[in-house]
Amino acid sequence: MSKRRPVVAIVDDDPRLLESLEDLLESAGYAAHSFSSAGSLLISGLSGVDLLITDIGMPGMDGFELRDWVKKVRPELPVFLITGRHEIADQDRARGISGFFRKPFDAEVLLAAVDNALSNRNMEDDHES
Amino acid sequence: MIRVWSHRPQFLHLGFFVAAYVLGCGFAQSLAIVPGTGISIWPPGGLLMATLVLASRRSWPWWVLGGLLAELFSNFLWFHSPLPAAVLIYAGNALEAAAGAWLVIRICGRPVRLETLQEVLAFVVLGAGIAPVISASVGSATLAWFGIQSQSFITAWPLWWIGDATGVLIVAPLTLVVLQNWHGKAQLSAAQWMEASVLGLIFLGVAALSLSGYLPFAYIIMPPLLWAAVRFDFKGAAVSLTLLAVITAVFTISGASQFAGDPESRKHNQVMLQLFLAVSAFSALIVAAISRQHQLAVLTLRQSVEALRDRERELSQLVNMVPVQIRRLTPEGEPTFFNKRLIDFFGLDVGDLDKPGMSRLAAVIQGLVHPDDAIRLLETARHSFATGDPFSMKYRMRRADGAYRWVDGRGEPLRDQHGAIAQWYVISIEIDDEMRAQEALRDRERELSQLVDMVPSLLWRLSPEGEPTFFNQRLINFLGLDMADADKPGMSRLAAIIEAAVHPDDAASLREALNHSFVTGERFSKTYRLRRADGVYRWVEGSAEPLLDESGRILQWYGLSHDIDDQLRVEEALRRSERQLQQLIDTVPVQIWCVTPGGEPAYINKTMMDYIGLKLEDFDAQQGLAGAIQTIVHPDDRIPLERALTHSFSTGEAFELKFRNRRWDGSYRWTEGRADPLRDESGRIIRWYGANVDIHDLVTSQEALRERERSLWELVETLPVMIDCAAPDGEPLYRSRQLREFLGYELEELDGTGKSRLAGTLDAGVHPDDVAGVKERYAYSLSTGEPYARKHRLRRFDGEYRWVDTRAAAMRNAEGAIVQWNIVCLDIDGEVRAQGELRLAQESLARASQAASLAELSASIAHEVNQPLAAVVANSHACQRWLTAEPPNLERAQKTVERIIRDANAAADVVSRIRALFKQSVEPRHAMALDSVIADARDLTAEEAARRRVRMDVDVESNLPPVALDRVQIQQVLVNLIRNGMEAMDTITTDRVLRIRARRRGNAVETEISDLGRGVESPDKIFEPFFTTKAHGMGMGLAICRSIVESHGGRLWAETNQPHGATFVFTLPDEVGAE
Repeated sequence: MSKRRPVVAIVDDDPRLLESLEDLLESAGYAAHSFSSAGSLLISGLSGVDLLITDIGMPGMDGFELRDWVKKVRPELPVFLITGRHEIADQDRARGISGFFRKPFDAEVLLAAVDNALSNRNMEDDHES
Repeated sequence: MIRVWSHRPQFLHLGFFVAAYVLGCGFAQSLAIVPGTGISIWPPGGLLMATLVLASRRSWPWWVLGGLLAELFSNFLWFHSPLPAAVLIYAGNALEAAAGAWLVIRICGRPVRLETLQEVLAFVVLGAGIAPVISASVGSATLAWFGIQSQSFITAWPLWWIGDATGVLIVAPLTLVVLQNWHGKAQLSAAQWMEASVLGLIFLGVAALSLSGYLPFAYIIMPPLLWAAVRFDFKGAAVSLTLLAVITAVFTISGASQFAGDPESRKHNQVMLQLFLAVSAFSALIVAAISRQHQLAVLTLRQSVEALRDRERELSQLVNMVPVQIRRLTPEGEPTFFNKRLIDFFGLDVGDLDKPGMSRLAAVIQGLVHPDDAIRLLETARHSFATGDPFSMKYRMRRADGAYRWVDGRGEPLRDQHGAIAQWYVISIEIDDEMRAQEALRDRERELSQLVDMVPSLLWRLSPEGEPTFFNQRLINFLGLDMADADKPGMSRLAAIIEAAVHPDDAASLREALNHSFVTGERFSKTYRLRRADGVYRWVEGSAEPLLDESGRILQWYGLSHDIDDQLRVEEALRRSERQLQQLIDTVPVQIWCVTPGGEPAYINKTMMDYIGLKLEDFDAQQGLAGAIQTIVHPDDRIPLERALTHSFSTGEAFELKFRNRRWDGSYRWTEGRADPLRDESGRIIRWYGANVDIHDLVTSQEALRERERSLWELVETLPVMIDCAAPDGEPLYRSRQLREFLGYELEELDGTGKSRLAGTLDAGVHPDDVAGVKERYAYSLSTGEPYARKHRLRRFDGEYRWVDTRAAAMRNAEGAIVQWNIVCLDIDGEVRAQGELRLAQESLARASQAASLAELSASIAHEVNQPLAAVVANSHACQRWLTAEPPNLERAQKTVERIIRDANAAADVVSRIRALFKQSVEPRHAMALDSVIADARDLTAEEAARRRVRMDVDVESNLPPVALDRVQIQQVLVNLIRNGMEAMDTITTDRVLRIRARRRGNAVETEISDLGRGVESPDKIFEPFFTTKAHGMGMGLAICRSIVESHGGRLWAETNQPHGATFVFTLPDEVGAE
């Protein structure tokens, strides 16, 4: 198992949320990279990123579009969507998607999901390796 | 015979003469010591000769006759010669005397004084030498012829000649002396008398001793004899010789003399005696003559000296008397003499200023000559002293009292025979007065010259022939040239000047006029153009008068040219101005007339003549003014006109009247006549000047204007609007009938209350709640000039307050200044009340919209709140983890807790901000026509649209199906969209048009609200809650609209317009569609 701390990229236009998520992830032993918009993540690139957590309602590219783009580039990369607008969460396109959280989200559940997603990936990696 | 008689000498003289002659004959007889020889000395010869010398020639016969008598008598006494021989001998003697006298007189001239050597020599040679030749020859021949004493011619002649010569030498001088000094006073002094006495004694002694034979030498007598001759000259000599002859005769006769002797030696002794006497006489006479001459010379010298002294004194007096200062200088120039005048002038003499180490000349000049002249004088003088040239100079000398006086000094050298300078004579004449007079004259001349130059006229002088001899400075300055500057060869100076300085058009006539004056002597006067130095020709008036001498001959022409150019130009301008004025008077479209104080027509201008078609003469022929009025004034106006004119003429008041005047074409036209009197200095009226102006068109147009004004007035009065006009300061000036009736009082009733009309109106009429605001707005508009618009309540006459809309705008003149405020006031009481109801509806609508959008809002709020909440939750977990970590990370936990607090507060803010929005609105839905809802919305926003200058273009399809709707909610959607559209057009400058369109689209009614604003960037996002593009918006409007529309089963979306603007479209299903 790699000793490297897993890297989680966070995209949200609300700096308070970015801060809190980063703090939470770091308290759980992850390295958190914060991005205030989808665009800035795209510029930075996805290399080294093990997991992506993104807000949905953002100016410019929204969370859905970012997810779709990431799925094309790195299909295996786990993407978690979070939103404060519950009506979005109620929409069809959000229904049935794993890794979807409503604000305020349960931090333990999120961390568990992250951990789960990363360990699944590691197992796959192990298989591959 | 008578003639001879008349020259007869006095008988007494003649007598004495005869006696002396006889005595002389006796004396000769006594000396005739030699027997047979007759006489040895013949004194009568000398006597006769001397007598004849002294006597006038015409008296000579008398004396010769006297002598003849005396000799014949003596012959009878002593000689005893025969008478013929005696007569012959006498004839010889007389001839001798006459010849001697004639020769002596001839040589010496009368009177014969024998005082000069020349005379004595002439006497001795001619009288004593040559004349005796005659007597000796005649006598000797006679003796020989008659044989008297047996003498031959040869032996007798020498004795005879020497005897006669001795007689002449001794007796003639004595006779001359005696006769000439007969009346002469004895002028001998005591000393001379003493000398004469001593000399006489010596002489007698020596004579006695020598002739007596005691002394061996007879000639020893010579010194005393010569002494006498020297000291007592001719007289002494004559007396001494006489004495000597007598003594000699005495001693000879007595025989004691050495000339005596024995008979053998007698002849020799006689000759010796004769020689002795002759030599003595000769010597004594010569010496006496020399002495006399010497004495005369001495005397003359003395007299000359005396005369010279007198002369000198006279000259000296002259020198001091002449009013000239004279000094004498050495050839080197050192002053040696000052005359008295000069000494008096200086107050000091020539030596008083001597200074050591300085020449006297320099000292004198430095001390006594004005310092300004001293150096020049010294140089001039020294130059002259060096060259010998005379000098002349004017300089100032210091007088004794210290005053410097001008003198004219001249110096000339005095030269001796060799031409060397012996002295310098310098004279000076006081010319101070002359100098001062000259200076005064010069001053006067300068003054006159200045006067001539200063006189502001051009002065000139011509010779009688017309040649310029003087131009004054002004003329020179004017012409820029002097007399001689224009000279041309072959042309007189006058002609040259005229050619150079006179305008070519005037030159010929000027020359002619001048020549005429020169010829006739008449005064010259002419106006012509003279060329000034700058080339401009100026008109001048020239005149000249001749100056005549006593005989009426012309000496000079004195001329003066006066610059009258300006004057001429002024006159020209005046004439022109008069002409122009005449033209003006004739061409102004005003009828000008002039009448005498009595009212008689004196002048009418051309305009008037043309207007009335008559001339001034036509009036005169028709009884003056009355006739004129009869002819040209409308019959109805004649009496007032006559009355007004008569009034003016009698009182002097200005005349003014409007009346109808008959024009040339016979039409009567309104005319305004005015006249004012022209008075002289005493106030008396000289003329009445009047002007008639055709004001017919004006009068008619004024009538038209009045008609128009009346109609406008009626318009204003009858308009269903209350109209008010106010002065620039707001004071009401006029109120229309409507307003007066509304208020129930007249404007004038406000006066006299102590308040302004405006304040009175406002205080009395405006509702107490509104009056403060109204006054404030009024004041603002009055001070700034901005239009006024305000709605307020105004008390009607019946006491009811009614809403009125008052608007006022300033009316400005061309300069932009406010001349009047025009105010309209509309009774809008009904409208205001309707609007109040409308506003109530709006408020209700707003409330409804808030309630209706609760659901939508809640979602939005949820998002807003969830956002911080999510942060809080995440942080809480993080914090928990930091605290539970091994070891607990307190630092980060602390930080996280701070964030929790912050985010939680933010969430609380959101909640509190949104809370106010929530209100419950519950309205039942009814099926109704959408067009009425749209009309309501339009009315609600009409005011805002007007304010924003937005035109609303409403296009609602007819027969729209009814729609089930919540009226208030849909109103809210419409108002919201309309307001958004208007706001979007706030910034554009082109036409602001808002289009509202409603039409049926399938089972729905589609409503579009489109604007021409800046458009929509993101048509989807704008509907999200809290999304806003406005500066002051919650971002809720469109979200609410959408939720309302969607809750009605419709859709709301936005489209972008081309080229700009946005269109918001919503659909509502019709009743059928909704079900």
